[in-house]
Amino acid sequence: MISETLIVEKGVSAGDPWVTVDAPNVHEALAALKTEGYTLLVFLSCVDHLVDASRSWPARYEVVYQLRNMETREQLRLRTFIEGDPPHIDSVHDVFPPANWEERETYDMFGIVFDGHPELTRILMPDDWVGYPLRRDYPVGGEPVEFSEEHEMWQTAPDKA
Amino acid sequence: MTDTISRGVTVDRTGEAGAFGGELLTINFGPHHPSTHGVLRLIVDLDGEQVRRLKPVIGYLHTGIEKQMEALRWQQGVTVTDRHDYLSPPINNLAYALAVEKLMGVQVPPRANALRVIMSELTRLSSHLVWMGTSGLELGAMSMLMYCFRERDTILDMNEEISGFRMHTSYIRPGGVMADSTPRFLEMLDQFCRDMPGHVDEYEALLTNNPIWRSRTIGIGILSAEDAKVLGATGPMLRGSGVAWDLRRSMPYSGYENYDFEIATSDMCDCYGRYLVRIKEMRESIKILRQALDRLPDGPVNVDDRKMLPPPREELETSMEAVIHHFKLFTEGYSVPPGDVYVAVESGRGENGCYIASDGTHKPRRVKFRSASFVNLQALERMALNHFLADMVAIIGTADTVLGDCDR
Repeated sequence: MISETLIVEKGVSAGDPWVTVDAPNVHEALAALKTEGYTLLVFLSCVDHLVDASRSWPARYEVVYQLRNMETREQLRLRTFIEGDPPHIDSVHDVFPPANWEERETYDMFGIVFDGHPELTRILMPDDWVGYPLRRDYPVGGEPVEFSEEHEMWQTAPDKA
Repeated sequence: MTDTISRGVTVDRTGEAGAFGGELLTINFGPHHPSTHGVLRLIVDLDGEQVRRLKPVIGYLHTGIEKQMEALRWQQGVTVTDRHDYLSPPINNLAYALAVEKLMGVQVPPRANALRVIMSELTRLSSHLVWMGTSGLELGAMSMLMYCFRERDTILDMNEEISGFRMHTSYIRPGGVMADSTPRFLEMLDQFCRDMPGHVDEYEALLTNNPIWRSRTIGIGILSAEDAKVLGATGPMLRGSGVAWDLRRSMPYSGYENYDFEIATSDMCDCYGRYLVRIKEMRESIKILRQALDRLPDGPVNVDDRKMLPPPREELETSMEAVIHHFKLFTEGYSVPPGDVYVAVESGRGENGCYIASDGTHKPRRVKFRSASFVNLQALERMALNHFLADMVAIIGTADTVLGDCDR
């Protein structure tokens, strides 16, 4: 395991082991875990804990890194909590190349700025999009459609008696 | 000039001086182009006809599936999972269902597991058939599409028989499967297992020794095992580079450890190697289907939990308790204990995972799909550099990206 000084908390969630580290240590911790054999970054994502009453969270955004050791088939989830507007965290694309697009996606969807990323632009949404769609305070929204609830717009034909 | 496109992955950008003496021409390829497997846009720097720089631009098929999942109750979310990787709906269902079950600590009965394996393998076959048909079409083997879609239609007929839907089946659900298999489905599956090996021989007769197919794919799009691992590639992309990694065998789920099959690999590392891997996988899938059919256990296909799955229709007429359960389930739904979980399954394209964070309510807090296409596409530049533009089409084809899966 990575040095205990980096780990803030560890546990198991539904059978998946996880560790929490402080946000400034994420790059160091991931680099250390990679040398320990966790060579695959399965995915990287974020969870927005806005008004989540089930537990008390240290901060609003939780950035999640799922790692896998391809030899022993062990998995480990590294979590960190960040706050701010916009929230900042170090990019890990130099440790795990697949993180490049994953970080762009997380920036696109949650507005998390990955410092040191070579090209932090929107990837799924259009370049001129305003807002970060997967934040919990971003409404689902929708386009008005024909045959909607606005019945008064429709004139019924007069009775032909 | 060597250039580092990702740490540990360097490419030679110079190549031979092209027709324009090294002067680059930037072209836009796609998003609406018949050979990009959907709406993939590529910005390509060409030196004559050779690719010197390539940048995929994605997002044209972004449908906000992860956002929609947050607004739907746990059992409603299944219908949305069908739609991201639209060539393998039951495998997407399976990833989601396994994740929800793992959070709830639920074990499905053996018959449900066997039916899940059957549907997964049928889906893998149909996904590979679409891949082979369209890739053949792109490289000039026009008749492949007709042959492959003929068998795919049989699979879709079976989907219809077992679930009522041909494509977006929503068959695999948290807690089991939608309904038990019908006798006719088992007959169709038996017939399919008899016919299909001969059909795979037919495809091989058309392509494997076809000189045009071989010259278009051998030595094209080399991805070494090291690069594939560094770039996080999974599925036939990784196995086509000689790495025997298949989640069905490496990290088994749904009882895959009880089936006898081989992991298809090829050491060729090129488009032809990935083709051979998929052909082999189709044969292995038929083997799994045959074993699953022969050993199909009897018993229920759903967990016996009225807080999670609706009661049988007959019970509603006699039992007040059943009516209450039914009403609660379809108005409020069930809630899932707080926590987060990640489950990965092997789809036709690679690792198809589902990460769920639950806050203990009747709707998910966050659902993230780890799609194989999204990660595999990042290896495209590595594979396509210094190849001709026409070879790039073969490389996109054998990467087998589904843009709905990529953009979600």
